[in-house]
Amino acid sequence: MRIPRNLEVWKMGIVNYLDALKLQENLVNARKVHKIPDTLLSLQHPPTYTLGKRRTDHNLLVPEPDLKNIGAELHYTQRGGDITFHGPHQAVLYPIISLRDIGLGARNYVEKLESTMIELASLYDVKAHAGRTGETGVWVGDRKIGAIGVRISYAITSHGLAFNIDPDLNYFKHIVPCGIADKEVTSLRKETNMALPAEEIIQEQLISCFARQFGYDSVSWKEGASILSAVSEIE
Amino acid sequence: MALRMWASSTANALRISCASKAHLSPAFSLSRCFSTVLDGLKYATSHEWVKHEGSVATIGITDHAQDHLGEVVFVELPERKASVSQGSGFGAVESVKATSDVNSPISGEVVEVNSKLSESPGLINTSPYEDGWMIKVKPSNPAELESLLGPKEYTKFCEEEDAAH
Repeated sequence: MRIPRNLEVWKMGIVNYLDALKLQENLVNARKVHKIPDTLLSLQHPPTYTLGKRRTDHNLLVPEPDLKNIGAELHYTQRGGDITFHGPHQAVLYPIISLRDIGLGARNYVEKLESTMIELASLYDVKAHAGRTGETGVWVGDRKIGAIGVRISYAITSHGLAFNIDPDLNYFKHIVPCGIADKEVTSLRKETNMALPAEEIIQEQLISCFARQFGYDSVSWKEGASILSAVSEIE
Repeated sequence: MALRMWASSTANALRISCASKAHLSPAFSLSRCFSTVLDGLKYATSHEWVKHEGSVATIGITDHAQDHLGEVVFVELPERKASVSQGSGFGAVESVKATSDVNSPISGEVVEVNSKLSESPGLINTSPYEDGWMIKVKPSNPAELESLLGPKEYTKFCEEEDAAH
């Protein structure tokens, strides 16, 4: 008998990067000891550049002190992947899930994250595809629309994916995005001919694509005050 | 059916066990593929192996693990003299934009790390049990090895893990 799997989604609005990092650490520890179910954070960040474990800061094209002038922060993280930018109008998903419970390795997990974004793009008639080997992420032609950077600890995931709905693409000019030179960054707004609905709707669609790709039987939602009380329970 | 029996006896002769899914390219096609599990090693359920020889134990990740990770592009290892403890992380590997923590099957002191892995992280994929070894440890509590899985048990564990989904 297969036990039905529920995904708990936290809709969080705009969250400071370090706050989200701290929250993920607490959630990973709680998930490890089965205190919480598989949880998905849905949010956006203020303008933020981040680096992965390999600390590839040669891909940051402006001196770090200058970032403050353009209103952006820089953070070093333990995730995989190269340098990237997060900002308003970019949908970010951080799944805190147990790969052991669903029998996925890192490679399959990342492929499903790619499929999640590809599926969302197709809702707007945008034909996206996964990158070639070594170019993990989601592309429309050779323009990158979605990025992935993940950490797996005790088979529990953190960090995740970022999908460009309509962020200010100029911010990407200050980096070599994901360490891949000569390739543009794009967004759903640029690629689709369809009118885009409110962002919240697009984010909910992205979450549904995720839930479908990962075979969840049901999704429950937390917002606002119920998130605050959930956070205090796991701290 | 006959092909399967032949493969199974060949596998036994080569001291290879069967597990579902992986990468070896045989000269014939089978409905099932093999992940290599070696005799003489002990295994953790988090897919690391340990080879205990005298006062030193060598540690790495298994063929099953490297297959599920994809191509390894970066390996983070501890320093010599660092201490490791059973079940806790000692380093990480990066593949497909995912960093995965690697846990130590036993406790002890790191006496050597495989420096080849910084230039050639892919050794973990091509030779997970030999050239892709990660650290050598002086065990502080050899009895811990008893709590690990033997090759047959680990093979069964992998099969069950892969079959359940």
